[in-house]
Amino acid sequence: MANLLFYLVSLGAVVGALGVVAARNPVVSVLSLLGTFFCLATIYLLAGFEFLAAAQILVYAGAIMVLFLFVIMLLNLGGQERPLMDHTLAMSRRLPLVVLVGVALAAVSFFAVARSGEAQAAAEAAPLQVDTLGGLAQMVFGTYLLPFELSSVLLLAAAIAVLVLAKRERGEAGR
Amino acid sequence: MIHPANLEALTSTDLRGTAPMICVTAGIVLALLAEIAPALRPARGLAFVGSLLAAIAFELRLVADPAGEVFHGAFAASSRSATWGVLFCCAALIAWTYGRRYYKEEAGHVAEHDLLMLCSTLGMMLMAGSRDLITFFVGLELLSVPLYSLAAFRRVRATSVEAGLRYFVLGAFAAGLFLYGSALVYAATGTVSLAGLHDASLGSPLALVGAALIAASLFFKVSVFPFHFWVPDVYQGSPTPVTTFMATGTKAAGFAFLLEVAFVMPPSSAGLIAAIAVVTMALGNLGALVQSDLKRLFAYSAVAHAGTLLLVVAASLAGDPRAAGPVDAALYYMAAYVFTAGGAFGLVALLEADGERFTKLESLRGLGRRRPGISAALSLFMLSLGGFPATGGFLGKYFVFSSTLRADLVWASVIGVLLSVVALGYYLRVILTLWMLPEPEGERAPEVRRLSATLVTGVCAAMVLWLGLFPGWFLERFLN
Repeated sequence: MANLLFYLVSLGAVVGALGVVAARNPVVSVLSLLGTFFCLATIYLLAGFEFLAAAQILVYAGAIMVLFLFVIMLLNLGGQERPLMDHTLAMSRRLPLVVLVGVALAAVSFFAVARSGEAQAAAEAAPLQVDTLGGLAQMVFGTYLLPFELSSVLLLAAAIAVLVLAKRERGEAGR
Repeated sequence: MIHPANLEALTSTDLRGTAPMICVTAGIVLALLAEIAPALRPARGLAFVGSLLAAIAFELRLVADPAGEVFHGAFAASSRSATWGVLFCCAALIAWTYGRRYYKEEAGHVAEHDLLMLCSTLGMMLMAGSRDLITFFVGLELLSVPLYSLAAFRRVRATSVEAGLRYFVLGAFAAGLFLYGSALVYAATGTVSLAGLHDASLGSPLALVGAALIAASLFFKVSVFPFHFWVPDVYQGSPTPVTTFMATGTKAAGFAFLLEVAFVMPPSSAGLIAAIAVVTMALGNLGALVQSDLKRLFAYSAVAHAGTLLLVVAASLAGDPRAAGPVDAALYYMAAYVFTAGGAFGLVALLEADGERFTKLESLRGLGRRRPGISAALSLFMLSLGGFPATGGFLGKYFVFSSTLRADLVWASVIGVLLSVVALGYYLRVILTLWMLPEPEGERAPEVRRLSATLVTGVCAAMVLWLGLFPGWFLERFLN
């Protein structure tokens, strides 16, 4: 039963991800992304990571999605399908390459899993106790304190980087 | 359960080991604060240079007296990672100095430029010392995200925006490959720390596929075949100071971790890696032969140099993976490369500030008579890039090829040396253009003069000669 659910949800995640890139209407893209996030959260839940599942829904589906939608509404992209359509056309020309890389990656990993048997080692070792909030906190503020702290610099860097790209010069507003 | 022991305050060793990174972070904060009032603006340059110099000072202390693994084994402040750290800071300082007054249309954004460069340097330091895949990934993103934006920094130019977009899309793809590879390695071994991977059995196909994907993502960052296609366009389209930083710093950071993590690949793959290295060198050198644009020429030469360095990875795989020899060879090579390529790209940035056409090779005809200083420095850098004796580039190549020979990869060394001779073809062409060809009639020579650029060119040239003539100093001080 859990297995069946897992495959269903995984399929949903993949379909959702395809929808994000294939959809012509940005709002449809965003909604597909939302579907993918929910499917991922369900996978976390199936694996026993309740907190991660909750955080996934709260942070991504809640906050970030709303932000995306706001941006799309504010920029009024909903009605302008043409530029995005050109994009889709450009993508369709590269579709064979994309499919090839995707299929190759999938085939190689299927092959590897089949040859290695079930990926047991990780399950047996299980040194990461992220299934409880306490275990997660211990990892984030213990083992991985340094990358955790520096990821805040990463967020700062990303904010500045976006600012550089998005800030409009005076006289540039019409572009 | 949370064990209070794991959450105890930072130890002094933790602080000592990460002191250089703390300096750079402090520099980021100070440079950001300097923007709150116009009167404080001049302090930004001070914060940039000061924080990097302080970081270099702390790194030098770590070289002499390493702090070992800090932060629960997430980061290794070894003398090796500290040496890499010194190189990153030097690369950032060189690129920044040449970038002064380079930006005209974007003059209002130079503060963001400096901040992003500091963030990227911090990411490099984290990459070089990371002892697990998660820490490395944060470092990789901290390096890449600012660079995506820096590549597109000259927003008024379509080429720059295109360079940024291309770098971003491919970089995101490489990051995805890395994460997928790490996930497979974790599924096969149950650990993501390098120490744990050392002890784990890496023979299962799952671990192999994971290692291959991790290697592929790193190959992208260091611009190695078959992931080198983006290099000429991105290097040419990006602002030249950013290209300088990318060519020196990013490559050094990528190789720093690639050498640390090389052991996850099986020893039998040494031949394959050597073959990839040779193909990369061939593509880079042959591509550079036909270029007429200096930035593009140097971009192809950067690909060729990445190929040469990949030979070191092959050598460390074929020999004892924990032997220091190949890594030391890579460090020496990269030390010489940071100053050589930094100076070469930097001089292009300097000339370009006087007019876009000065990135063309033919616009440099007869420059030797008008601007002997710039021409002499550029010639020295060309000789060092080509591996002429008495320059740092020669000894770097010598160490790399001898470590390849010691690993019994004779064929790769022979082809590598032959390709280095081919490379001399285009490096000498630049020198020939500077000194032998007649000046173009009725065309203005570049007139730009800048004290800061003169100084940093002098430092780069001195370091290139110093590394070439007195290798003992670097070997004793940094590599024991």
